[in-house]
Amino acid sequence: MTQFSVLLKKEFLESWRSFKFLWIPLVFILLGVTEPLTNYYMEDILAAVGNMPEGFQMLFPELTAADILLSTTGQYQLIGLLVLISAFIGSISRERHNGTATLLYVRPISATTVFASKWIIASLVSIISAVLGYVASMYYTAILFGSVAVSDFVKMLLTYCVWLLLVMAITIAMSAAFQTGAAAAIAIVLLPVGLLIDSAIGSFWPWTPWKLANHGLSFVTETVVMKDFGMALLFTAIAIISFIGIGILATKRNWRLTKV
Amino acid sequence: MNGFEQVPWALIAPVLVIQFILAIVALVDLKRIHATNGPKWLWVIIILLMGIIGPIAYFIIGRRQS
Repeated sequence: MTQFSVLLKKEFLESWRSFKFLWIPLVFILLGVTEPLTNYYMEDILAAVGNMPEGFQMLFPELTAADILLSTTGQYQLIGLLVLISAFIGSISRERHNGTATLLYVRPISATTVFASKWIIASLVSIISAVLGYVASMYYTAILFGSVAVSDFVKMLLTYCVWLLLVMAITIAMSAAFQTGAAAAIAIVLLPVGLLIDSAIGSFWPWTPWKLANHGLSFVTETVVMKDFGMALLFTAIAIISFIGIGILATKRNWRLTKV
Repeated sequence: MNGFEQVPWALIAPVLVIQFILAIVALVDLKRIHATNGPKWLWVIIILLMGIIGPIAYFIIGRRQS
């Protein structure tokens, strides 16, 4: 257990010193804040830069707080995920590449602790970022558009955190299994591109892990189907566990491949 | 330009502050780091001139972990 806490501390320090605990939350807050602002001032923005013809009129839909949370989530699922993946995709592969990993591999440490410490810290950073970002977004939405029930908002937030655990499990597992470039490509195809594909053709399967964030949002719009939500949660949990398994196996394989 | 007073500064200011902090953090990191991907002076320009994209690009691409 002391091994584990030492490694956990090492990962924490590394994320701290590379400012990951600072800049990733700031990016999420910025994304979350600009979304309600641009939606609220869309008419003014178009009038200022749109080069509209004289007498041009446009009808804007009446946006509710839930709509804004929906579009904030859309930003997080594309830009946010890309930022998170590229920030953590090198956590194992880069250490192998530049030789730091060899220092770990010559010591009697289990692969599970190495993988788990990295996954926990990466998940911590992304969950802190998402929570701060959503709270900032909700604050602006409450000022400009109106509020949603606090319990619904918390349920949505917790669901999104579970989804982020899966995102980080995939990212770190790929980082353990491949070199940085290939790992980034696979993680991006599995997560942001997977979301696009799933939303295009996946309407027949309400339980895929990619839909978990949407199920979380349906708490806020009060259209939640508990059975589908439960299934999606179950399959996400299975996916998290299997990707952690893959990651630990890949980390073990790295041990054998290292030449000292 | 009579619109300056009409800008809702109470709402816009936090966005500018966050953007400012991001740029400062990136510059501090750039000062402390040993080497970057590509010349350092180029990153200073990118961080200062490219708004929110600059610092993010620096943290993702510019930092060379060693």
